[in-house]
Amino acid sequence: MDITPHTSDRPPMVAVDSVTRSFHGAGGRIVAVDDVSLTVEPGEVVAVLGPNGAGKTTLLDMVLGLNTPERGSIRVDGITPKRAVQGSRVGALLQTGGLLPDLTVAETVRMIAALHRHHTPVEQVMDTAGLTGIAGRRVGKCSGGEQQRVKFALALLPDPALLILDEPTAGMDVSARHEFWQRMHAQADAGTTVLFATHYLEEAEQFARRTVLMGAGRIIADGPTDEVRAQAASAHVTVTWSPTAEQLDGLPAVASSEVIGTQVRMRTDDADTLARHLLTRTDAYGITVTQASLEEAFMTLTGAETTKETQR
Amino acid sequence: MSLITFMAMDFWRNLRNVGNSFFVIMLPTALYIFFGVNTGWADESIGDGNVSAWTMIAMASYGAAMATTSLAGAAAVELQQGWGRQLAMTSLPHGMYVVSKTVTALIMAACAVLVLNVVGLFTTAEMSAAVWWQTAALTVVGSLPFALYGLVAGLAFRSDAAVGAASGFLVILGFLGNAFAPLDGALLDFARFTPMYGTVALARYPLTDGDGVTMAGAQYTDPLWGILLNVAAWALVFGVLCLLLGRRATMRR
Repeated sequence: MDITPHTSDRPPMVAVDSVTRSFHGAGGRIVAVDDVSLTVEPGEVVAVLGPNGAGKTTLLDMVLGLNTPERGSIRVDGITPKRAVQGSRVGALLQTGGLLPDLTVAETVRMIAALHRHHTPVEQVMDTAGLTGIAGRRVGKCSGGEQQRVKFALALLPDPALLILDEPTAGMDVSARHEFWQRMHAQADAGTTVLFATHYLEEAEQFARRTVLMGAGRIIADGPTDEVRAQAASAHVTVTWSPTAEQLDGLPAVASSEVIGTQVRMRTDDADTLARHLLTRTDAYGITVTQASLEEAFMTLTGAETTKETQR
Repeated sequence: MSLITFMAMDFWRNLRNVGNSFFVIMLPTALYIFFGVNTGWADESIGDGNVSAWTMIAMASYGAAMATTSLAGAAAVELQQGWGRQLAMTSLPHGMYVVSKTVTALIMAACAVLVLNVVGLFTTAEMSAAVWWQTAALTVVGSLPFALYGLVAGLAFRSDAAVGAASGFLVILGFLGNAFAPLDGALLDFARFTPMYGTVALARYPLTDGDGVTMAGAQYTDPLWGILLNVAAWALVFGVLCLLLGRRATMRR
């Protein structure tokens, strides 16, 4: 198996090459990851952004060797995912990882530390993850956010070159989320490669210079976070207007529209063009433009993908 | 990497679980004191020892089976609830987890056997030293099929409650295993085919060479091949069920 060619003398930290993985589902086979290729260089911080069911967890599981691709290959730091994990080069905060409720926080960290060939001192990891104050607490009595911090500590234990975080801030409130990313910044600044999955656009914006947009098992966009966000940008335009069907159909850049009484609400990927058209070519008035949420942006992007698929 | 540290911590976690250690160690000890020490027939001789020793062995078997059932069952539940994925992120080689859990369960079983034997030694149980060692070792070994029994419960129902129920059901299996009161007639004939019967009879074998007495006072002898067949057959049944359930678990993913 060959390694994806690249310019630097080090192999890429993560090299995913044309990977497909499907599962048995209720309605037959569900393709969770569909011919995905992705390369992450050492030191990069990359967000994998997508709604639930986009295939983020399946992709990250395969990068961690918890799952194997049906087609395609994955290399982590030049070797197989399983060997990279066993060699303590990868740390992971798993969405589906479980902790034992009857252990204390400190015991959990010490127990997992005992299973690593090399590990960062337990006290140091607990300090970095902010666990020193709750070291003696039973895991079962910790809040969801505190348990995420315990998992974060476990991810840091092997002093990994690559950190993989699957929805790391799930169950955290706003301030805990902020604090978590503060801690992550310190890790990334120290040169750790970070690949994380999230469905919060803000997290990708604030933390990752590069964002990979996933939907329906495929990569929809991959590039600098600003550009990807612009691509995912979508807006709602609402006007007071009573159009005919031909007028509605003739609107430029409209993804969908609905008429509610005398109001017409449209979703668009180019609000300027649409607004100009509405105000100059029609008798619509009282215009408001609002930025759509990420979920809606995804519907615009992945909705198009789905339509293409049904046409195939 | 220190597998010993991991196992020691895991063992301590299970030992301090009051529910666990109560049923594994304290309950069988109490039962032995009630039915094996403070009774009129405790001093009557049987095989190379006395009835007190005969009772003690059965209680130790019951405790050891409780230990392996609950620990193996809990391990299956833990793995499926995500702890297994956490362990998969370490240097722990695939398969070593099973080995470490088996050793932990056997040490827990050995604890029950040790406590029962020490209590027996300082109260009314009497056996020759050689028999004492042989029966203690066979008690621990005989509890192994119940690790598979616990795994079946854990894999099939994926909940601590199911594992608890499986441990609780051991009381009935223990009764049918001739562990608590000598059985008689048709019930004894049926009991010979139940899983605890082989385990208890194997542990008692060094004491009486398979001889036993029914409630009515009738003598019988269980041949060694029959005892071993019982243990092997049930280990096979539980083992096959584990494999089938394990396959189902991976297919769902």
